[in-house]
Amino acid sequence: MNATRPAAVGPRDSARAGGRRALGFLADLSQSLAVSLDLRETLGPALARIMDFMHAEGASLFLLDAATKLLECKICAGPVDIVGLKLEVGQGVVGRAVAENAPQRSDDARRDARVNARVDAETGFVTRTLLCVPLATAQGPIGALEIINRRDGGAFDDDDAEILRLIAAPMALAINNARLALEVAEQQRIRREMALARSIQKSLLPRRRRGRFPLIGVNLPAHEISGDFYDYFDLADGRLAFFIGDISGKGLDAAFLMVRVASLLRWSGRAAPAPAAWLREANVELCETLQNGRFVCAVVGIYDHRTRTAVIANAGFPPALLDHGTRFEEMPADGPPLGIIKEAEYGERTIDLGAAALYLFSDGATDVREGVRARLGAEGLRELIRRYARLAPEPRLRALIGELKRRRLVDDTTLLLLQEPRGSEVRELLALRFPADPREMRRVRAELRTALDGEDVAPELRDRLVLVVDEACTNIMRHAYCGGESGTIALRMTRERDMLGFELRDEAPCVDASRIKPRDLSECRAGGLGVAFIDATMDAWHIEGVPGGRGNRLLMRKYIPAKTESEP
Amino acid sequence: MNANECTSETLGDYVLVRLRGEVDLSWSQQVRRAILDALGDTGKVGVELSEVSYIDSSGIAALVEGFQSARSHNQKFGLVAVSAAVMAVLQLARLDRVFPIFADLDAARAA
Repeated sequence: MNATRPAAVGPRDSARAGGRRALGFLADLSQSLAVSLDLRETLGPALARIMDFMHAEGASLFLLDAATKLLECKICAGPVDIVGLKLEVGQGVVGRAVAENAPQRSDDARRDARVNARVDAETGFVTRTLLCVPLATAQGPIGALEIINRRDGGAFDDDDAEILRLIAAPMALAINNARLALEVAEQQRIRREMALARSIQKSLLPRRRRGRFPLIGVNLPAHEISGDFYDYFDLADGRLAFFIGDISGKGLDAAFLMVRVASLLRWSGRAAPAPAAWLREANVELCETLQNGRFVCAVVGIYDHRTRTAVIANAGFPPALLDHGTRFEEMPADGPPLGIIKEAEYGERTIDLGAAALYLFSDGATDVREGVRARLGAEGLRELIRRYARLAPEPRLRALIGELKRRRLVDDTTLLLLQEPRGSEVRELLALRFPADPREMRRVRAELRTALDGEDVAPELRDRLVLVVDEACTNIMRHAYCGGESGTIALRMTRERDMLGFELRDEAPCVDASRIKPRDLSECRAGGLGVAFIDATMDAWHIEGVPGGRGNRLLMRKYIPAKTESEP
Repeated sequence: MNANECTSETLGDYVLVRLRGEVDLSWSQQVRRAILDALGDTGKVGVELSEVSYIDSSGIAALVEGFQSARSHNQKFGLVAVSAAVMAVLQLARLDRVFPIFADLDAARAA
């Protein structure tokens, strides 16, 4: 073709001049590739320049598709356009260059079995000589760069191979960089979209209601989005309808389905059907529309707070757990999951909630992993519930979620807690202010005893509490009001549900709370028993200085079981 | 309600310190003095506690001090007829197995 142009690197060049030219070209090429991360913009012109520099009639660039493991021609320069041509690794000169990660040369393409004759046959172009080098990266070749037919009619030589190998390096680098940049951008885009999906999903969950509302739910997705759902809404007759569910499988499609199923259940629950009928209706609908073996586990229920009864129906969901305070009652599923058997019938059960707590939890809650060990399991979850049973529903649920998060969530986790809020008013049982003088304590103890007897606190526990409050008061006299300072102590005893609170205030200089620690009772010695008594008796206590450097506040709490047993 | 009272009774070589009422910080120093005085007089001292309806940690400290002083001087020291209220606090302080405790005066003197 264009044989009149001087060869880029030919026998007429001195080796030195040729090398200098090649280096100059490499520098220009690298620079032009660095202009943009958009390969469509940079690679085409670069390939044309390479073809010209190498004095070839044509050039093409093949890239390896990581997914299909096929080499595909992405760009061509010269008279023949084979963009889109796909080769297997190892197939043809290009395939071999990649397979062997080494340059391939064909000096007589027409007689070379490696060369694919089909292209020439289809295009009419005659391929005489070929040189192909892999686009090498640290992770292996990502494609190949091929040039065809030296314009002077000769064959490509070892120098050409070496120069092309050098030229391929910045191309491989540019392609790799662009791909990485694309991956990062893609990841960021996906992350943004997932965050958006998560916020939309969250907005579908019911708002937590303030005040004395008996239901609280929480949803913890194992990943950004969740296949779990729960909802509750008021019925026209004043009752409360609720449901919780879990779509089989994970990921985006489960999340989409969750939206649909939740609105279906909400829609069909509006008319306040009996829970069994509610499930039956949803099941028929889902059997007709669910695909790919998907199914839905769910519990639906209606709660009447006037009678404190709930009616629930369970479709393949983990057993409902009713905490009576002293024992757990487990209520297994009343029928199969939704979306499997169109004719399925569901039972329902009435729960006399009273003061008990009803827990509904998706299996994510029990699938939580304890380190690398086994699942938390139903037993482990009960233990956790037991541990936090004393807390009010909301902090209890928060504590449970905290425990689950501290372990490893492997599945979406959703908890719904139905419990009538207990009387949460704080009653004052005793309020005294007296001089910080030990002679006052006999009277104070008598008043404490009377107040505790009024609360039906068992005598042994009463005496312990009196002792501990006495110890706290005399500690204030001895240590806070030290050096003969006079002042007063204010004692306030309160009760909030099953929790007794003892608050002691003084006007002494602030004490260093960090230095007040219980001593080890196993050593026999006279001092420091008071704090040890407090620590051994109270469920919680702490001391804090009143801002301003004067005055301390000691707060102690003791849980007393509803039915006073002989404790401690 | 018992009035607070601390009396010492000498029975041959045995001194019995008898406490009554509620032993607390307001007079536990007096109890401590009485116990240490008794140990100054004789080698065998008991503290009678059947009429004690309350004792706080300062009262317990007085007993511990008497016990430790007796031990370092090879004297005998025990608690006699411990009331339930005192026993509960001794248990809480894990001292119920530290003190020699006797059901009555005869057992204490015979020891």
